[in-house]
Amino acid sequence: MERKEIETRVKQTIARVLDIDPAEIEKESNFVFDLGADSRQSVELVAAFEEEFDVEMDEDQALSVQSVGDAVNFIAGLVKA
Amino acid sequence: MAETPAKNIDFVFNPASVAVVGATRTPGTVPHDIFQNILRAGFQGVVYPVSPRSPSISGVKAYKYILDIPDPVDLAVIVFPSSVCHMAMEQCGQKGVKAVIVISAGFREVGPAGLERELQLKEIAARYGMSVVGPNCLGAINTDPAVRLDASFARKTPAQGSIAFLSQSGALCTAVLDYARGKHIGFSKFISFGNKLDISEVDLFYYLAHDDATSVILVYLEEIRDGEALVKAARTVIHETGKPILAIKSGRTSAGASAAASHTGSLAGSDEVCDAVFRQAGIVRCSTIEDMFNRAIALAYQPRPSSNRVAIITNAGGPGVMAADACMDHKLELARFSEETSSALKDKLPATANMKNPVDVIGDARSDRYHAALSACLADPAVAGAMVILTPQSMTDIDDIAGEIVRTASAFPQKPVYTSFMGEADVATGIDILQRAHVPHYALPESMAVAFATAYSFEERLKTEPMPVPRFEDVDRRRVSDILQQALADGQAYLPEVEATQVLEAYGIPVLPARVAATAEQAAEAAAQVGFPVALKIYSPDVVHKFDAGGVVLNVKDGPAAARAFEQILASVRRAVPGAHIKGVNVQRMAPAGREVILGMKRDPAFGPVVMFGLGGTFVEVFRDVAFRAVPFDTQSVRSMVREVKSYPILAGVRGGPSYDVAMIEQCIERLGQLVLDFPQIAELDVNPVIVLEAGRGAVAADARIGLAPEGAATRAGQSAGPL
Repeated sequence: MERKEIETRVKQTIARVLDIDPAEIEKESNFVFDLGADSRQSVELVAAFEEEFDVEMDEDQALSVQSVGDAVNFIAGLVKA
Repeated sequence: MAETPAKNIDFVFNPASVAVVGATRTPGTVPHDIFQNILRAGFQGVVYPVSPRSPSISGVKAYKYILDIPDPVDLAVIVFPSSVCHMAMEQCGQKGVKAVIVISAGFREVGPAGLERELQLKEIAARYGMSVVGPNCLGAINTDPAVRLDASFARKTPAQGSIAFLSQSGALCTAVLDYARGKHIGFSKFISFGNKLDISEVDLFYYLAHDDATSVILVYLEEIRDGEALVKAARTVIHETGKPILAIKSGRTSAGASAAASHTGSLAGSDEVCDAVFRQAGIVRCSTIEDMFNRAIALAYQPRPSSNRVAIITNAGGPGVMAADACMDHKLELARFSEETSSALKDKLPATANMKNPVDVIGDARSDRYHAALSACLADPAVAGAMVILTPQSMTDIDDIAGEIVRTASAFPQKPVYTSFMGEADVATGIDILQRAHVPHYALPESMAVAFATAYSFEERLKTEPMPVPRFEDVDRRRVSDILQQALADGQAYLPEVEATQVLEAYGIPVLPARVAATAEQAAEAAAQVGFPVALKIYSPDVVHKFDAGGVVLNVKDGPAAARAFEQILASVRRAVPGAHIKGVNVQRMAPAGREVILGMKRDPAFGPVVMFGLGGTFVEVFRDVAFRAVPFDTQSVRSMVREVKSYPILAGVRGGPSYDVAMIEQCIERLGQLVLDFPQIAELDVNPVIVLEAGRGAVAADARIGLAPEGAATRAGQSAGPL
């Protein structure tokens, strides 16, 4: 999967979970600080990424994914592997 | 890069504009409720919500980032989760915010990862010159009508008052606010400072010293990071502004008490030291929240009494006696009324009333008798203040009596009046009248005595000027330096008696004549030189408890006996402490008859060097009758320390017995204070026993032991500018 595609799908996932316009989401947007995710939504995002990309994140990995860029990097790394 | 400024605490309490960074629309959440509180309290400045998602919060236009706000922002209240607080802090810095309150939890209190986040915030704040409250706190409140700031998530904004409350615990704050509200107690400033990343109680003391709205400062502490700075700040506030500081310091455990070899270490638990140092600095240490507020309302609402003579007025004999007993317990006196007062009481009260102090207006008294008794007592020059007790009989007009007390008290504005309407249900409305009028009310008569005594002793404290720290010039610093350097170079952890007494002698503390003997023959010669009878004691850095190891023989009266004692000691010690490095035997003149006392020092992690004094000598850990003072101290402090121990009267002379040389003991303590200040390598010290001779004949140290710390690794010596 190309990185560009990953980024697009990550943004779409975030837009769906947070109910925001994908155009508002930038490459380095932080889920909480820039996009306003609350604690429940932060958990939902992790679950949504797992479902969208058929991956699994443990607790530490989930905590480390805090922005669009973090999510893209993590998923790109898994997909490559 | 901005320099770190003096703390911008005024922007915390008196901001012209506030931004709540991370505000949300979800009711019942901290980010939502804080913004609501600011609005509800009627903040007189401008408030901006900063929210990444919402265009408005509670009808107020919101900004996505603080950088989007077109106007200056004085104070930012960050309510984002801890993981992104650094991003918010960075933007606050770029915006030019002066002060930040970080409400969010998830910092040092959760462990190393949280500490790292906290240090990151500290670095950003320092870079931009911002002052920070928190993190992990409730927020800050200023009830000044010109400001009306409630930047907290407390349930209700407190009423205005003259008491400032500072707390390390946020949750305690909300309980305190509710407790105070129930008693109509208001606050000037209210702040929870959480993890003390930047602003601490020390900074707040200095700030509140100059706050005209604050007359009494209350503080709840769990952790003291810089005890010396705390004490210095408290002294400044108390002596330069006359504002009392009342403190609860929780964590009364014996964890701080060292199980080390020294008596001082085992007696000087962290709580005992804190107690002593607070008292030394003039901080009133309280045991509970109720105790704290009982004393605070006396200090905030009423004048301080000019003497310790009190009048008690009661409609019930028993509680009157209880109050009188409590007064005795707290060193208050029942005032002796003048002829005029007695006549006035006889004139106005029924024959069955008790006209002496406590004045019993008897059970069927109504407001007229209370008025008569209270005004007669307050008019008496011998009376410094009054305590009024009421019990609810069937005919007692409780509310009228409360009103009468309020009116009568206001006619005597120089004299404090305290009340105790005993009961719960029937007296509730009367108590309400008193509390709203700021006439202190107490559930029990005993609490009135505590409050009165607190106010009186604070008044007395303000009259005492700190004296200079005594400094002795006739000391041999070089000799001490050489001894310590040699011992540290040899890898010793402590100085045994021989060297320890040499150190004391170098600083002018009298010691017994002694010589070291390496052989039995030398022991006999040494004994003759120092003068019989002598004591022989093992001289070894490896033998801590000489008696236990069979290393001491006392009362040796001649040379042959000294030689035999030498051999006996060596044999015993070799059995008891195999492999001990034995340097010889110390032959010391027997101590003269006198009273045994102990002097000691340990370096408290919070307060620095603390000196201990007590009676008991070798039994000191049984009696535990000791007093502590932090170094540096002045002569007045040393005098009070010696007189603080319960058994001091023995030294002063009791039951026809002799008095002992207290002046010499005081001088020894002062010299010890100078010694430990001059040499941070001295980590711990026991001089036990010191034999105090009869008055005028001096004192002499019979044994000593000094624990060492390598230079630079020792906790810093007291560097305070002034005495405690």
